[in-house]
Amino acid sequence: MKKLIYPFAAFALLAVSAFTAIKSQDWKISDNYSIKFDGGDPSGEFKGLKGTISFDPANLAASKFDASIDVASINTGNGMKNTHAKSDKWFDAEKYPLIKFTSSSITKTAGGYAANGTLDMHGVQKPVTIPFTFDNSEFKGSFEVNRMDFNINTAEPNHGGTKFKVDIDVPVTK
Amino acid sequence: MFKTTFVHGLIAAVLASVAAFIYNHIYFFATEVDFSKIINTGSIIGFSVLICITATFIYYALVKWLRKKGEIIFGFLFSVVSFASVMIPISVSLPLDIKNPELFPGLAVPMIFFPAIAWFTLKPLFPVKD
Repeated sequence: MKKLIYPFAAFALLAVSAFTAIKSQDWKISDNYSIKFDGGDPSGEFKGLKGTISFDPANLAASKFDASIDVASINTGNGMKNTHAKSDKWFDAEKYPLIKFTSSSITKTAGGYAANGTLDMHGVQKPVTIPFTFDNSEFKGSFEVNRMDFNINTAEPNHGGTKFKVDIDVPVTK
Repeated sequence: MFKTTFVHGLIAAVLASVAAFIYNHIYFFATEVDFSKIINTGSIIGFSVLICITATFIYYALVKWLRKKGEIIFGFLFSVVSFASVMIPISVSLPLDIKNPELFPGLAVPMIFFPAIAWFTLKPLFPVKD
């Protein structure tokens, strides 16, 4: 029986270390993240980023992003514009309180990586690809969103721009 | 005449600055929102002096040119410009690191009127002689 203790201990250690290796792919979102959008006028940022980030450059097949931001956290730097943005004419924060992104696959690209997935905004789900880099525990990405694709104030296409550049900078910790 | 008008404008700037300082402190005490990046000692004095000294030149030119009518026109002009300027703090976009931008007009809009209020309050002390 004593002979089995060491092999059992070694196996247990191996199992625990393997579990740790799998867990190490999960990242926690740091507080100093930024999600900025720029459509000329308006431009601003969102807060309230939550979600799970599983990312391993060596195992992209097992990597996954599932994140949401709080629509009511929109800040354009102007109180009047913030109120308008949250109203039912624009984002309708009461009815659609979250903007969600769920990745379906992550691929390697020439400049970094690309997260392919679904962006759920204003009750509309659209497939999007978010190109991003991952250096020094920091995700950086940039992509473009057309508000008309998400039925956001389609009655006024010339009011406040239609295409918005979204810049994401998310430092993470293990 | 210009000396009287200039002193009038200068004292109005001081009075408007003092009023703005007091209001700024009251507003911060009431809301605890810090707008000191935008509205601080420098910007309060700068704004008050700029408006009151500009008013000095416009007042002097109008009274010199139109006499009594100039004074009436100046009164309307100062009031209308002050009133129209409330759109500035309402429409301005603040830096994104400033929290609660919706409270900014509550601080800045009353301050827009302080130079005009100070000017008209002091006017009886500085009568224009022909």
